[in-house]
Amino acid sequence: MRLHVVKRDHCPLWKKACLYLLAVLSALVLGGILLLAMGVDPLAYYSRMFTMGMVGNKIAYKSMENYLKVFVPLAVTSVALSLAFKMRFWNIGGEGQFIVGAIAAATVAFQAGPVLPQGVTLVLMCLAAMVCAGVYGSIAAVLKVKFGTNETLMTLMLNYVALYFLTFLGETKADWNFYLDETSVRPIFANFGKTVSFPAFPIGKFGLNLCVILTFVLGVLVFVYLKYTKQGYEIAVVGDSAGTAHYAGMKVNTIVLRTVFLSACLIGLAAAFKVGTAGILSTAITDDVGWTGIIVAWLAQMNTAVIFLVSALIGMLRYGSTVAAATFSQVDSSFANMLQGAILFLVLAADFFIRFQIVPVKKGGKANGNG
Amino acid sequence: MAQQPNAIEMRGITKTFGSVVANQDVNLTLRQGEILALLGENGSGKTTLMNMLSGIYKPDAGEILVEGKAVSIDSPQDAKRLGIGMVHQHFKLVDVFSAADNIWMGKEKAGFRLKKDRYEEIRSMAQKFGFDLDPEKKVRNMAVSEKQTLEIIKVLYYGAKVIILDEPTAVLTVQEIQKLFGVLRRMKEEGHSIIIITHKLNEVMDISDRVAILRKGEYITTVDTASTNEQQLTEYMVGRKIDLNIQRPVVEKKRPLLEIRDLTIRNDEGAVAIDHVSFYIRGGEILGVAGIAGCGQKELCEAIAGLRPIQSGLMIHKGDNIVGLPPKAILEKGISMSFIPEDRLGMGLAPSLSITDNMILKNYASAKGPFVDRKGGREDALRVIQELEVVTPSTETPVRRLSGGNVQKVLLGREIKAGPNVIVTAYPVRGLDINSSYAIYHILNQQKQDGVGILFVGEDLDVMMALCDKIMVLCHGKVMGVVHAHKTTKEELGLMMTGALDLSNKYEDKPAGYAKDTNISAQELEQLQRQREEKGEEE
Amino acid sequence: MEMDKLGVVTSFLHNIVVYNIPLLYGTTGEIIVEKSGSLNLGVEGIMAVGAIFGYIAGCYANSLGVGILTSFLAGALCGLIFAVLTVSLQANQNITGLTLTTFGLGVYFFVGNGLKSIAWPAMNDYPNIKNGFADLPIPGLSQIPLLGKGLFSHNVLVYLAVVIALCMWWYMNRTTPGLRLRSVGENPAAADSVGINVKRVQYLHICLGCGIMGIGGYYMGLNMSGSFNSSCWINGYGWIAVALVIFANWNPALAILGTFVFGFFNTLRVSGSSLAAAFPGPLGWLAGVPTQLYQALPFLITAVVLVVTSVRKREGSGLPASLGLNYFREER
Repeated sequence: MRLHVVKRDHCPLWKKACLYLLAVLSALVLGGILLLAMGVDPLAYYSRMFTMGMVGNKIAYKSMENYLKVFVPLAVTSVALSLAFKMRFWNIGGEGQFIVGAIAAATVAFQAGPVLPQGVTLVLMCLAAMVCAGVYGSIAAVLKVKFGTNETLMTLMLNYVALYFLTFLGETKADWNFYLDETSVRPIFANFGKTVSFPAFPIGKFGLNLCVILTFVLGVLVFVYLKYTKQGYEIAVVGDSAGTAHYAGMKVNTIVLRTVFLSACLIGLAAAFKVGTAGILSTAITDDVGWTGIIVAWLAQMNTAVIFLVSALIGMLRYGSTVAAATFSQVDSSFANMLQGAILFLVLAADFFIRFQIVPVKKGGKANGNG
Repeated sequence: MAQQPNAIEMRGITKTFGSVVANQDVNLTLRQGEILALLGENGSGKTTLMNMLSGIYKPDAGEILVEGKAVSIDSPQDAKRLGIGMVHQHFKLVDVFSAADNIWMGKEKAGFRLKKDRYEEIRSMAQKFGFDLDPEKKVRNMAVSEKQTLEIIKVLYYGAKVIILDEPTAVLTVQEIQKLFGVLRRMKEEGHSIIIITHKLNEVMDISDRVAILRKGEYITTVDTASTNEQQLTEYMVGRKIDLNIQRPVVEKKRPLLEIRDLTIRNDEGAVAIDHVSFYIRGGEILGVAGIAGCGQKELCEAIAGLRPIQSGLMIHKGDNIVGLPPKAILEKGISMSFIPEDRLGMGLAPSLSITDNMILKNYASAKGPFVDRKGGREDALRVIQELEVVTPSTETPVRRLSGGNVQKVLLGREIKAGPNVIVTAYPVRGLDINSSYAIYHILNQQKQDGVGILFVGEDLDVMMALCDKIMVLCHGKVMGVVHAHKTTKEELGLMMTGALDLSNKYEDKPAGYAKDTNISAQELEQLQRQREEKGEEE
Repeated sequence: MEMDKLGVVTSFLHNIVVYNIPLLYGTTGEIIVEKSGSLNLGVEGIMAVGAIFGYIAGCYANSLGVGILTSFLAGALCGLIFAVLTVSLQANQNITGLTLTTFGLGVYFFVGNGLKSIAWPAMNDYPNIKNGFADLPIPGLSQIPLLGKGLFSHNVLVYLAVVIALCMWWYMNRTTPGLRLRSVGENPAAADSVGINVKRVQYLHICLGCGIMGIGGYYMGLNMSGSFNSSCWINGYGWIAVALVIFANWNPALAILGTFVFGFFNTLRVSGSSLAAAFPGPLGWLAGVPTQLYQALPFLITAVVLVVTSVRKREGSGLPASLGLNYFREER
């Protein structure tokens, strides 16, 4: 019997879910085998990781707060990237846009923080981060629209330009450099957490940060934007067929620019959230959300609700592994990266079986030739 | 004498793409040393069937015998080894390679090093087969006929005994077609067995020994060419005698709606695609545009719709100049375009979106507020589905999942819904079965009776002669003349299409394509004149 | 005094080569992968995997050769993962590449931090590796004043990188398998139709290219004579390599030149101040340039190259026409 691969027209939802679940489980099993080989009980490790150390812990609320600090930038960045991806614009410059947003937000915090009321400063931080990141992201879009420059490679390059600019700020002692701690001889970033920080609403001991609420509000807004508004409709048409959009009288270039700007703006907002809760810049400020967000948005097939789910899971994996590393000292926290990689590889493989199916070739048929 | 085994035998071949059945239980036999024409309408599954011989597709069911032995063709490599070569309709060539390298890359024992003498070897080999070929010429610099020659040489060089040609004449001029047929006859004499895919009957009668006919993916029959005629073949092909008496309602003539004067357009490569073309469309008439594929039809349609900048000339709609207007403004003037490109879904429809979402494509912006009006879209979708008998599970089905005929109905339905006064439609029946085609003709005629002016870019001359009022013939971007459809003959059109006959200056009192009762103002004509003079100074 | 100044120049040249050869490995490897039509954004991860496994195996066997071979195989294995997912399973190349980077760095730090805890010695402690990595002056050429010591007296892996790059240029442009490789990257359907086994060509070259990247990773550790404690890894070289591919116009021979240009800035970052000290007159201003500018320059230059080539369109560009697109034969 011969087999061959054909494209699937449609895959039922339950089958999709099962395949993805199977992929994740297999990756966990592979990771488990590795843990076993190291003499670690995989079940104990995984339960520690996925509960993020909250079970049987008096300060579980702290873990939850910390987890949300990982979740918020990732979710916002992924949602932001999904806007561009939906239009088939491969913005892999999330890292760079995040950094530019972070610098802008920090600038406002340092300059306006001591003078203005905290609420005003926070709003200004968000706005500055959005505008700066948006403009930075638009560079690649403008070039793409004007000259057809490959946006994947262009945004990639701009990531590093931004990163080294941030490094420059972080390593250069100078009179003008208000980002650094003046009291330190060695160049280290100054902390503004005392003057400006996103407020949290206490629920018992747990503090629900404003950013978390805003993140969910943003999720709903983006969902509605993509699904029900004219601009969202335009994004869908341009992503599906630019020729058709053009013909329907849409200004395709304007739509591309607008959407990429918006996408980068939201990444800037994610950066403002991050900086506004951390209270300090750092060269590792992005926590790789620019990269991870790409994977999250794509895995979720640009569906806003699913993006929240996937971000929650990936965030759990990332934060959980650092928690677990505290208990299981022999397992490095980079285990999470490996596990994340393995999960993704297997999910990519599972995706194949969702898009294609393998069928046997039947022999025979009526033998009434025309010879 | 023992009977020679057949070169190819296909038995019970079935192939589906998702829910679309491309071939259903097809049988086909190719004898040694014959030319078999594979005849069928667009979309009847000819290419799919041949792609299973060349190893591009694998059949879902059925078996293939080569010289009497059952084989399994899993890849083009297998096909090559079995001596089967195919010249695809869309050439499979590497643009940046030279002619020689395009052949050399598939050579079995080519040696490790690329030597300069490969050019000489390819040149002399081509000469041996009777072709003139510059082996060092890059494919991107070649004309279409050169590329086809290269494809044929390639197949011969790999030692193919069975040669399949997919619509080889579609892109050629008459002279080139005759030359090609000469080549095919010579190859036949040398013992090759040939399958030629076409839907042109005169070519079938001219070149083939036998004809196999497919209809809607099913095998109908095979007949000897000598014992059949075009009438009979047509019947086999379409299932019943074609009543080409497509209605041509007579409508009272109106003033010109759209006037094109001295229009010049360049294509994407910067070459002149439309060369000083003038014509006009009146309300209540269908103007056909005939020409070999790629003679500027696409560029012309795009320019009228505002999608392509023009070099010079005037486009006047009801007295207003529409040159330089954005596509949206042109739409608002009531000029609608439905261009059916080869993949059918590229322009005009967003394939992944639902019928509803495609209905609102052109008027979504007119809804109040920031939100789209899907309710109205759904109502429109329901109306189109009912009135044009679109077969679909629901209004929310992605257009991609509909069959070709239904896709076209959705497209035309939306265009008509907007109440246009000029419809530009290109290949609206491409890939459709007869019944769907008639439905489309009917829609167009209705529009015509309502006073709409229609520009119909078509392929099938029979259809155009029956449907259109006048036919404009293009050849390499130039107008060869505009003729009355009921007065002309197919031969005349054919000669014009190939540039052998130029009727553009037939009426000496008035330049061709200028309406007597023109809406073009003196001022605009002056402007045009100035444009010309400026051009003249430049040159 | 004069001699000292010359010495500064010579050591500057020497450093350009010595510290940036991993870029050449990464770039040559990525060119081969991209010429087969695959945009692999996993260079960083693949080099990391090559670095750590080359290090372990090399030390374990006390042999430079084993280290090189192992790093090659480890890289090729990463390539195999990439190929299975993108070629056979039709996965998105960008996503797969980025995942490979995450995964590769994860493996590197996971294994590396594990080694740290058991205090694995430095590579320099292994005499065979140390001797194998010693400089081999090219007779004659290395005697050229000023340039000789800087450019023609290097360790074996430097020569190997240059030889590989030149061989790959020759292979791609002057051999039949190279012609087939290019045809697959340009138009896989055309290659397929003449009987070229597209999948095999892609698998083979993705693995080969990734293997070469792996050696580049190993080199980084060797050059810093690293134990894991002193780290045998520099962040970002993989990404510079991706940029360098564009700069070199997908030509491995030009990649040698490109490595030198990018390496020049990289080296200015480290030794700019010593140049400024040696030539306070003409080069004194170098001391004032922020080092981060040098780090950003390769990416800025590549961005400019990208824009310039896109303005001039495709004529003469080495960009493979179907880069980043998966090939599925039965596409309709």
